[in-house]
Amino acid sequence: MNSAQIEIQLIASLVAIACAIPGTFLVLRKMAMISDAISHSILPGIVIGFFITQDLNSPLLILFAAFTGIITVILVEYIQKTGLVKEDTAIGLVFPALFSIGVILIAKNANDVHLDVDAVLLGELAFAPFDRLLISGVDVGPKALWIIGVILLITVTLLIAFFKELKVSTFDAGLAASLGFSPAIIHYGLMSVASVTTVGAFDAVGAILVVALMIAPAAAAYLLTTDLKKMLGLAITFGVMSAISGYWFAHWLDASIAGSITTMLGLLFLMVYLFAPSKGVIAVMYREKQQRIEVSLLTFLLHLKNHNELEERHVNHLREHINWQKVRAKTVLELALKNNMIVVDKNIVSLTEKGDTFTSKAIDYIITNEDTQIEDMKDDFFLFRG
Amino acid sequence: MDISEYFSLVFSDYTLRTITLGTAILGAVTGMLGSFAVLRKQSLLGDAISHAALPGIAVAFLITGTKDTNTLLLGALVSGLIGTFWIRSIVKKTHLKSDTALGLILSLFFGFGMLLLTFIQKQPNANQAGLDKYLFGQAATLVESDVWLMAIVTGLCLFVLLLFWKEFKLLLFDADYTKTLGFNTRFIDILITSFIVLAIVLGLQTVGVVLMSAMLLAPAAAARQWTNSLATMVLLAAVFGAFSGVFGTAISASQTNLSTGPVIVLVASVFVLFSFVFSPSRGLLFKQLRFIKNRRDLELHKTLAFMHHIAETHENISHPHAIKLLNSFQGYTRKTLQKLVEMNYVELKGNMWSLTKVGFEAAANLYTKQSTEDE
Repeated sequence: MNSAQIEIQLIASLVAIACAIPGTFLVLRKMAMISDAISHSILPGIVIGFFITQDLNSPLLILFAAFTGIITVILVEYIQKTGLVKEDTAIGLVFPALFSIGVILIAKNANDVHLDVDAVLLGELAFAPFDRLLISGVDVGPKALWIIGVILLITVTLLIAFFKELKVSTFDAGLAASLGFSPAIIHYGLMSVASVTTVGAFDAVGAILVVALMIAPAAAAYLLTTDLKKMLGLAITFGVMSAISGYWFAHWLDASIAGSITTMLGLLFLMVYLFAPSKGVIAVMYREKQQRIEVSLLTFLLHLKNHNELEERHVNHLREHINWQKVRAKTVLELALKNNMIVVDKNIVSLTEKGDTFTSKAIDYIITNEDTQIEDMKDDFFLFRG
Repeated sequence: MDISEYFSLVFSDYTLRTITLGTAILGAVTGMLGSFAVLRKQSLLGDAISHAALPGIAVAFLITGTKDTNTLLLGALVSGLIGTFWIRSIVKKTHLKSDTALGLILSLFFGFGMLLLTFIQKQPNANQAGLDKYLFGQAATLVESDVWLMAIVTGLCLFVLLLFWKEFKLLLFDADYTKTLGFNTRFIDILITSFIVLAIVLGLQTVGVVLMSAMLLAPAAAARQWTNSLATMVLLAAVFGAFSGVFGTAISASQTNLSTGPVIVLVASVFVLFSFVFSPSRGLLFKQLRFIKNRRDLELHKTLAFMHHIAETHENISHPHAIKLLNSFQGYTRKTLQKLVEMNYVELKGNMWSLTKVGFEAAANLYTKQSTEDE
């Protein structure tokens, strides 16, 4: 590993952390698509800023572009407030228009602007180490590293200072307002941080990767935990992991680093999406199957309790009268036997004492409309789950 | 070339005619289907789908090695559909909200597509140039066969739309009711979503991945402001979309260095802005005018009621009072007084005012009359 490679990985990791923090709150506040809108609509800001400053790395340019980001948010909210269209339509109307203005501005001034739309969308992380920051002639590192470092520092400071306010207003906006935290200030504060981060990062990693780095780690973390601090920590870890593995993947493939990091994020999300312990797709599907069988079991036990006649309690009756398929009837019977709820004598099924108590309690809960209690009761009675 | 020259050329020049027809058809079909997306609150789905189509284009090229438009669009269609159904399953199976799912699929698929595109560009195969036109679209590359493809798909869309019109309409406004009536809502839902994906994929070549969502949204959002009927809205959206296409092409052809996609989007945005402001029933302008008129009426009534209150204390209702008396009252302005005189409710004599008989009765009945009107 040479120093340029280390620097690229360092920049990518810092961008990942800087994006994961506002990203977590955007995902929790159901405003993830705003980050997409901001990342597109900063384009005219960057172009106009470039016309004024003539320097792609000037801090003024970042402010200018971030300002466009905030204008986007205000415009979206204004259109939404008129009630003419829904919020998502408002987002979808504003950013393509602003982005188009940006593209046209670039195209019309193609000769004097050293700016490429592809570069804005994708960035070129591989060139970041060559753009050095010189302070009175001394090389102190790549410019991108300093820019994103400063932004990260500001973000972390704000996060620590306003963690409590952010937390309350994210989960209970009404409570936050009644406690005296202005929802507007927190909202626009978060939007400003998201805008500044997007602008600071676009130059290195491009607008699309910013969106991916904001949403994907936070979404993956949200599937794993419901604790805000843990979620922030996990999102940052996921972001940094993908940044570094993505860099090496791009290195091996000789392709775009931004695209490769996004691909890594995608794989990571796919893994979490499938295998997350309680909220992953596989876990959810397994639980649904379990519950289906347990509901069948309960129906079966209720049926037994209601009938003393021998023919109603015959094993084959399950298939004939309740209309269950063979496999399902067998699974339900086996589960009930394993849990000592029933005994089968000469193909006649009867409730055991335990089965009887369970069923009576379940009926009580169903009558009093407290169906949810049945779930807790299952833990006391079941030795084996469905 | 200026605009008038463009319109004289559009019927004779092959390229211009093809592009104009292409963008017009595209605008019409996206406008039509966009109405459904907007009303179903799936506005941003278009944005996600168009981005999600990118890896499909790259993969189709990697597999076949050709740049045939139809093959690439087929790839885009498949990957767009995968993206759409993944979004649906994320929202359904996990507790992640739709905005997160959209943003996720959008950025992840797009990033993966860009990875593939840069990977393709590094290949020693000289055939790969031009794939990036799908990013921003190049209407200039449209040929007659593309326009035919668009026309066929539009015809198919129209056919399906008419065939399932009742079902689509029902699903749009009351999904639960549709289900209880025994319709297969899943099938209808998948059908309409698939057609939206198809329309988006068709537009990739012209408008590009990034701006395609606006083509879907803007005509529909503009049309929504003018009507409350679905049929009219779909029709209007198609017209707005087609005009955005034609005007956008005209403007971009009459200037140098102006790519067609962004111009079409801007023209469509102008349609939206115009509709937002000038629509008679929902528009901001007329809403504001109605608001001002209502406030004036209210002030007039308040002034009249106040005068009535004063006049009541005298035996002669037309006993003159000083205008000064009204100054402490908030609803009073010189204009409202003038208006009351015009309505023959009040007579002015120098600095004094007096209620007329008509005015007194009108004021006395002001609130009783209003309350009967309300009922």
